[in-house]
Amino acid sequence: MRQNKEISDLKFALFMSLPVIFFLIFVVIYPLAYAFWMSLHKVSMFGGLKFKFIGFSNYLKVVTNEKFWDALFVSIRFTIESTILTLLLGLLIALILSKPFKYKTLIRSMIIIPWSISLYGCGIMWAQIGRGQTGLFTAIYHLFGGDDKVNLIGKNYVIELLALGNAWNLSPLVAFFLLSNISTIPKRLYDLADIDKMSNFEKFWNVTFPPLRFTIFVFTCITIVMSLKLHDFIFTLSQGGPGRVSSTLTYEIYKLSFKNMQLGFGSAMSFYLLFLIVGSTLMLYWLWGRRLEK
Amino acid sequence: MMKLLFTLIFSFVSIGYVHASELAAESGEDVFFRGWQYRTDIVQSNIDRYNNEMGGNVDYATVTGDYPAIMEQNLMSGGDLDIFYANPSQASRYFDGGWVKPANELPNFDEIKADMYPAMLDAWTYKGKLLGLSYFVSTRGTMHVNLQKLEEIGMSESDLPKNWDELYDSIYKMKDAGVKYPYLPHWFSEWYGISWAYVWEVMNRGGLVADPDTHQPMLTADGPGGDALRDWKRVWNDGLIPEEVLTYNESSYMEAFKSGEYVISPQQIYDLASFNDPANSKIAGHVSLLPYQGQSWGVLDSAVYVMSNRDRSDALESDVEKMASWYGYKDQNGEPFVGANWLNVSMLFSGYKSVMESPDAKSTIQNALARPEDYETVLEVYKNTPYPKGVWSVTWAPIFNSWLKETMTEFLLEDKSVEDTVNAINDKINELNDEYGIGG
Repeated sequence: MRQNKEISDLKFALFMSLPVIFFLIFVVIYPLAYAFWMSLHKVSMFGGLKFKFIGFSNYLKVVTNEKFWDALFVSIRFTIESTILTLLLGLLIALILSKPFKYKTLIRSMIIIPWSISLYGCGIMWAQIGRGQTGLFTAIYHLFGGDDKVNLIGKNYVIELLALGNAWNLSPLVAFFLLSNISTIPKRLYDLADIDKMSNFEKFWNVTFPPLRFTIFVFTCITIVMSLKLHDFIFTLSQGGPGRVSSTLTYEIYKLSFKNMQLGFGSAMSFYLLFLIVGSTLMLYWLWGRRLEK
Repeated sequence: MMKLLFTLIFSFVSIGYVHASELAAESGEDVFFRGWQYRTDIVQSNIDRYNNEMGGNVDYATVTGDYPAIMEQNLMSGGDLDIFYANPSQASRYFDGGWVKPANELPNFDEIKADMYPAMLDAWTYKGKLLGLSYFVSTRGTMHVNLQKLEEIGMSESDLPKNWDELYDSIYKMKDAGVKYPYLPHWFSEWYGISWAYVWEVMNRGGLVADPDTHQPMLTADGPGGDALRDWKRVWNDGLIPEEVLTYNESSYMEAFKSGEYVISPQQIYDLASFNDPANSKIAGHVSLLPYQGQSWGVLDSAVYVMSNRDRSDALESDVEKMASWYGYKDQNGEPFVGANWLNVSMLFSGYKSVMESPDAKSTIQNALARPEDYETVLEVYKNTPYPKGVWSVTWAPIFNSWLKETMTEFLLEDKSVEDTVNAINDKINELNDEYGIGG
């Protein structure tokens, strides 16, 4: 007698996941493995594509390269500033939008616009804003009687301008998630705070802020990752300049891989960037995320 | 008499027909034509004319972003690209990569060659092959002068400099006369900005960055290369140059000069037309240029229409050649239509005698200038402009341009020494020569 053979739940789950697994292999694992393979070679494009195995020489070359350390420092500075600005702006927008006021729905819809603009377009816009010749800050300065130019794309402020532009682009998304969090806070908690005669800051700190902590943690991680891998905005706003002042790791990798065609060296540097991204998020989880889970 | 007239008309129509049939597209396949963003309206109207009159299927689009790198990747991957713009420095690299079909393979190559000025033929010929057909020719670094501003500060044309040393001295006099930033240098943040400014200043002062034949480095700290750097450092450290020029793109750079704030600035020679156009400029009618007085100004900047050598059917290959010839040389009526159009609309010079020596060329150029007498000055400056074969007609040219941009900017921002910078440039050239197996 023939028996009906049933597959286990685990096998069924694996079977159902196969398309996703194949997709991930295709879009993540294969490029990653190929990049690693390239990083072990000297790649030459002229006279046909040629690969020469050189082991881990490219990795050693990266850590002995002065431009790598400069770019690493720029990336970290830009990421820290971006993250702080993004979260502060996002929180501020969320708090404002949580209050009742006229045309609230319209303004709530408009506030998402920066996030929907391409980073390429953002870069061009912020370059116009920051440039002394055409910039917003020059216009404001002139409004108050100044007659000089305020150039924010110079060596002193270009990273801050990049961070501000990046925060302008990302903060609406943060704001919307925080706003949805705020809307779940029971109104009676605020009533109780009123009974306790809490000040506005005390209400924010003791009632509003605690439920937002996990969302803020998640968006800190997201903003760090997005800032570390940001390229197109920097490319259009400053091209890593003036000189190499705003040249982040992504910009250095782009130059090495796609301008100088040093694909092996560029791939090796991109793995350091990957370590930085994974390392910084793991560290954040270790220091902050675990406490929130408890 | 009627018979003669009929014969003449018939012959004329026949010649036109022969030209038309020789240049008409036949494959029915798309020809992919790509370029950077400059007067896309004019390009599209030229393409439309070709498609309508020659039955072509030319697909035109512009490339935004890092043009040289994007084109290189396109060529490398054998993507949809048949004819494209390139500077000779890029085209040399693409040729060495094996991605370019030289113009020598065009059926009418001999006619094209005979019509080309020898200087341009030399600049666009690499390893014995003509890289492409003339798009434009210009002197980048022509010293433009805002005569109105000059007059405002009580100076006259006789006070203007004759060479680079005098130029830097005159900046101080202009500053003393009350102009905060008299000079807008070509130090903007494109791969052809500050890097090319250095290359041409070295050449204008009588030096060379690299040998034109062997591509070995030629700079010395006590030669023209060092002199240029010392002058740059002097005016930079004395606060005579606005820092933001280092972050401009080319259009911001032009806009800055159009604002009327500066007295003197090295610009493209063809931009005299734009600066003197009242619809475009606050200083229209007041922009002239420094003449050639024993020292050249600027460098010969040009672009060519290059054919890729990707795999194509025979019929499409023939269509690409026809389109390149029609667009890059003469149309079905035997006229250099596109070249003449560029001269007329934007004062873009051509590499062809048939364009530059046409009866209309002189009046077209004169109409674009502030003063009729500037016409002779323009021709004289143009005639004496050098071409840096040592660093442009070589495989590593695009890489060197980008590297030099950063190096020169860092020299100013980080106050690096002249000796270290000269040595760094020579070392980089040696490194690139080693990497590409040049000269050794």
